[in-house]
Parts: sequence; C-alpha cells; structure tokens
Amino acid sequence: MKMAKRVTLYITIFLFAGIGLAPVVVMFFKSLFVDGGFSLENYGVLFQSNREWTLLFNTLVLAGATTFITVLLGVPLGTLFAKTDLPFRRFFAVLFIIPLLIPSYILAVAWFYCMGRSGIVASLLGETAGIVTSNFLFGFAGTLFVMVSALLPIVIILTMTYLRMVNQDMEEAGRIYSSWPVVLRKITLPLISPGIALGALITFVLTLGEFGVPSFLRFDVYSVESFTMFSAFYDFSSATATALPLGIITIVVLIIERLFLRKKTFVSRTMGLEKKKAVVPLGKYKPYFLIGVSILVFILVVVPLCVLLCKSLSLSAYVEAFARSAGSIMRSLLYASIGASCLVIFGFLLGYILDRKALRLHYAVDSLAVFLFALPGAVIGIGLSNLWNTSGTNFIYASIPIIIFGYIAQYTALGERIMAATFPHVSHSMEEAAQIAGAGWYRRVFKVLVPLVKRGMIATWLICFIFCLRDIGITMMIYPPAHDTLPVRTFTLMANSPDNIISALCVIMVMITLLPLCGLGLVRKYVT
Amino acid sequence: MIVKIENVTKAYNKTPVIRGVSLGIEKGERIVILGPSGCGKTTLLRMVAGFIHPDKGKLVIEGKTVADNGKCIIEPEGRQVGMVFQDLTLWPHMSSYKNIEFGLKAKKIPKTEIREQIDSILEKVQMIQFRNAYPGDLSGGQQQRIALARALVTRPKILLMDEPLSSLDTDLRGVLMREILRLQEELTITMIYVTHDREEAFSLATRIVVMKEGEIQKTGTVSQIKEWL
Repeated sequence: MKMAKRVTLYITIFLFAGIGLAPVVVMFFKSLFVDGGFSLENYGVLFQSNREWTLLFNTLVLAGATTFITVLLGVPLGTLFAKTDLPFRRFFAVLFIIPLLIPSYILAVAWFYCMGRSGIVASLLGETAGIVTSNFLFGFAGTLFVMVSALLPIVIILTMTYLRMVNQDMEEAGRIYSSWPVVLRKITLPLISPGIALGALITFVLTLGEFGVPSFLRFDVYSVESFTMFSAFYDFSSATATALPLGIITIVVLIIERLFLRKKTFVSRTMGLEKKKAVVPLGKYKPYFLIGVSILVFILVVVPLCVLLCKSLSLSAYVEAFARSAGSIMRSLLYASIGASCLVIFGFLLGYILDRKALRLHYAVDSLAVFLFALPGAVIGIGLSNLWNTSGTNFIYASIPIIIFGYIAQYTALGERIMAATFPHVSHSMEEAAQIAGAGWYRRVFKVLVPLVKRGMIATWLICFIFCLRDIGITMMIYPPAHDTLPVRTFTLMANSPDNIISALCVIMVMITLLPLCGLGLVRKYVT
Repeated sequence: MIVKIENVTKAYNKTPVIRGVSLGIEKGERIVILGPSGCGKTTLLRMVAGFIHPDKGKLVIEGKTVADNGKCIIEPEGRQVGMVFQDLTLWPHMSSYKNIEFGLKAKKIPKTEIREQIDSILEKVQMIQFRNAYPGDLSGGQQQRIALARALVTRPKILLMDEPLSSLDTDLRGVLMREILRLQEELTITMIYVTHDREEAFSLATRIVVMKEGEIQKTGTVSQIKEWL
C-alpha cells in the first residue's frame, strides 16, 4: 500500500521534471556548444555587448518599478477593501481584479486606442495632444503604467487574503492602547508582510517574463530579445544565451524569497470558527477615499474596457472577428481546459507532497515548480522547442501536447501552492482512519482526500484555466501550425487588422475568460 | 462604582446574545463571569473593552458613559483598560520588550521611564531574563506572563481577562492563578475575569456572576455561589 503511494508520487515528480526541467537543462547545455565543440562564445557575445547590458538594465528597472508602484497602491487598496467600511468595496475589488483575467497586452492595445497618435485623446484634443500621449505610452512610462494596471490585482488579492487570516485578537490587543491607523501600521501590516512580499515577488517575476506589453509598446527588455532571436533569426543558441540573465535573476529572487518568506511563521492565522472581522471606520475621510478609489478604478479598469467596447461596437466587427478567430476561440477553451485539468492533477499530487512532506524531495520539488513559474514563458518555450523539435518527437512538437507541456511547466506552481494551502484543512487523522479501515492509497485519495479538498481543486482549476487562457509567452513560442490560441491570434492579427476587429477580439477574450467564472457562480447559486 | 452596566442588550443577526444585563462593579473587586460556552460572557467583556457596542443600554466606566444605545462614545484606547486574551496574542514580529513597550509608547511616556517600567513589570511577572525573546521562543506559560505584563504595564484601571489560562496545562494554570492574584492585590486593580471553569472562578473571585443564555442568573460571593450551584 505504501509502495503505491511512493510510486505514484515519484512518477509525478519524474513526469514534472521531464516536462519542465529537462527542456531548460537541455537548452542550457546546447547553448554551451558551437559547431559541435564546447564554447562559451554565445555567452561571451552576451556579456561584451552594450545592448545586452541596456536590456538587463531596462528589464530590472521595469520589474523593480512595477513591483514598487504595485505594492504602493495594492496594499492600501487591499486594506481598504478588506478592513474598512468603504462604500461599494466589494464592487471595487471585483473591478480591480478584471485586468488579471485578460492578457496584459490587451490593456496595452486599449491604451493605444486611447493614447496613440490617432487615438481618442488626439481626436478630442488635437494632434499635438496625441503626440504627447503617444510619446508617453510608447516607452518605459507607458509600459510601466500598463504593467501596474495589469498586475495590481495580484497584490490587492494577496493583501485581502492575508488580512482575513490575521487573528483579530492581536489587533484588539493593540486597540486597547492605540487608534486603528497605528494598529494597522505597527501590528496588522507587519503581520501580513509575508503576503505583501509574496505579492511583490510574483509581480516582479511576472514583469520580468512579460513579453506582450513591452513588445507592443516597444520597450526593449530581455524577454522580447529572446523571442526575437528565436522567432525572427531562428537562433537557438543566442536565444538561450539571452535567456540566461533572466534565469539568474529568477534564481536570485527565489533565494531572497526562501530567506525572507520561509522563515516567517504565520502564527497570526486563525483556525476553526472565526469571529466576525473588525471593520475600520473611515469616519470623515470616507468621501475622500471613495473619490480616490473611484478615480483609480476609472483610470486603470473602466477606461481601457470602455475603449475596447466602444471601438468594437458594431455587429460587423464581431462577425468578422468570429470569422477570423472561431477556431482559435475553440482551441483556446479546449487547450486551457485540458491544461487546467492536468494542472489540477499535478497540483494535487505535488501539493500533497509539499504539505504532508510525503517524500524527502518535497522542498526540491517545490523549488523547481516555483523556479519554472518564475522563469519567463519565452525561455520555457525555447527550451521545449529545443527538446522536442526532433524527427522522433515530432508527434508531440507538432500537436497539442507541446502546448499542454508548456502550461504544465510554467503553471504547476500555482496548482501545487493552492493545493498545499488546502490540505492543512484536512486532518491527517481523516486519512489515517481510512488506512486503519483497510483502504489502500488510491481509495484513500478518491474516497477521502478528493471529496474533502474538492473546493480547493475547483479553485485550482479555475485559476489555472485563466492563466492558461491568457498565456501568450509560452504559446507564442511553441504553438504548432494551425494550433494558435486566441491571445496569439489577436497578437498576430494586430499588425494588419482594423482596430474594431482587434477590439472585438479583445472583448471576446475577456468574455471567454469570464465564462467559467459565471458558470461556477450559477452552479453555486442553484446547487447550494 | 468603577463599572456600571445598565440594561445592556446585544444581538447578532437578530439572535440575542446579551439580554438586558445590568451589573455594577466596585473598585478593586475581582469579578469572575462564569458560564458555559455561548452564554454571552465574552461578549459582555468585549463590550467593556469597547470592541463590541451594545444595541441598547448604557455602559459607564469611572463615571463616564463610554457606550450608549448602540453608540460608542469612548473608543477602546480611551477606556483605560488592559486585556489578556484567550489565545496567545503576543505580536509575533515584536520581542517581549517591544510587545510591552507598545502601550507605553502610545501614552507618549519618555524612553527612560518606559525602560524602567518595562523592567519593573518583567521582574514582577518573573520574566526579566526573556526581555529580548520573541514569542516564538517562549512556552505557552511564558507567553501568557508577557501578555499579563503587557496588559498591566500601562496601569489600567480595569484588567479584563478572557479565559487567559484555558490553553495551559493544569499545573501551569495553578501557578499563574496564584501569580494573577498576587499582582492584582499588589497593584490594586479591578479585575473582570471570564471563565467556564468553576474551580478557576472559586480560586480567583471576590464575587461571581453566573451567566446563562445571555442573562445573569445569579450574582454572589464564592460561598453563596457554591451553595447555589
């Protein structure tokens, strides 16, 4: 019985390493050989070139600035939504989360329609205004602005989640002596600092690997360079070499994460029945906060969405968009569904290993999953192409599995971490009771564990579905001919299609992302 | 009378948890509110602290109305109370010293005086050697001593204790109970202590208030309550 468990878990690790780690390792070793002999030429060129240093600088500055501003805005917003009596706070929270559901470059497209040389601003305020806004948009400032609006939801969600876990007694112990602002600053925020750090880390690595926005807004960063080397020049070795700095930065960031987050114990977490959470009264400042949040949500969320809607507001645009992308829409839904389902299985088993420390390798497996999640999609894509683009493995490289492999490689950490956070709610004794009753491991899994963690599994599926659906970094690199997804289709059509059709495609993208969420909402409403 | 609770009621989602409770507490008394889980004893204590406001009725502390008919007049930080919670609620990111310092800093006491007061209270709870330790390094009993020091250091008029010993083992509970009695007498603080444990109530109280289903069933001295029970 014990054997079945160990074998299953080891096979899972082996499969995950084969799908995720092997491409990266093979890619790295291949880049060390030039014309059949060992050479560091690719890396020599990399470190001697001024352009590479500029790219490195741009990448780091963009990731750093995005992280800084996102945390600066996201933590107060998350606190306002989770802890105060701000009117419409739930509605605001939902609005702020919408950008996370759609590929970041769609926001860039929306802002281009608004602030481009012949955009809405130019048509309202004149050509000069259009030039000014266009100059702002194309370059560092515009890329930073779009990245902040795209990734702000991550910090808001994590802040809200961690705030809900704070033991209210700890805050009340502070309220005996001080007012809410002091308690929030000195007690609550330090208690949720691991959550804030996690938000910062995710924001940093996602910006590091972002390809769509910098590429569209013409801001040179490493992920764009890797993609160009690969797709335009078909230069595997240089593409790999340009991916190396991103890999190194990722490892450094992960080491920092391990040092900072792993040492923190979440003693503030309340288990069992929770008391009604204390609400911080905003008092006379309520209207000011309301106005501030309204302005922010209007700029960051309402404007881009309205621009897309307005631009696409004709039936013919949608008919044309569907005609051009019906296949891509179906493929997107299919691939994201398959990907999310595979990720639930990997997440379940690897999350089990991590939470129950079921194997000695648990720490290494978690590190690998997080490393691959942090690695830019373009890098994983290049690795997968490198490994599977051979005559013997063409059946994988030229069909759906290569895309699913990409999703598994990049997003397993999401499933693993969500499931690892779900398993503590199921006491070890539940499983042990089934074991004593004579149930084998598979029976224990299907009859005890799965029913008890099914809500976590549904959450994992939904989150992974959204990430697979909006993915462009990996899919762009590896999609086989006639297997393009909607984000890729939209991205490639952008160069030579009318604005209204691109806008319609973007709106369709938003709609199909919201589809499973609405479905789940309806199921919950009518089933429970 | 240091605390006066006048005909107080409180309901959650239309379910009453406190039904017209009135109680007067004299200065220096050790009141123990005794009752089973869900009888409303913690709600009553949290009302005195200012975390919950009564829907109806009035709460007076030291002659000042602090809450009146659903309205909070004085916030918790202005009520001059100290509180020890049921769970170990020391702030994990602060050392013992910093935990105790928090309340004194809020009172804007000079640094040198703060240091003296902290050392003095740490000696009183016999934890001076742990002044720089973090909560994670302390045992349950040690943490509760620091929590007691944190509650007492600001010299509150009333000390509120919400089943502070329930998470500790029997031996340690006995030791800490004696400790609490000694400190309360030494500092002459009014104490309101909530528990469901009869023995704890009999050991600590000068007066016991027995609660059931949101109402006061009986109030009396230890011997009166023993007889009644």
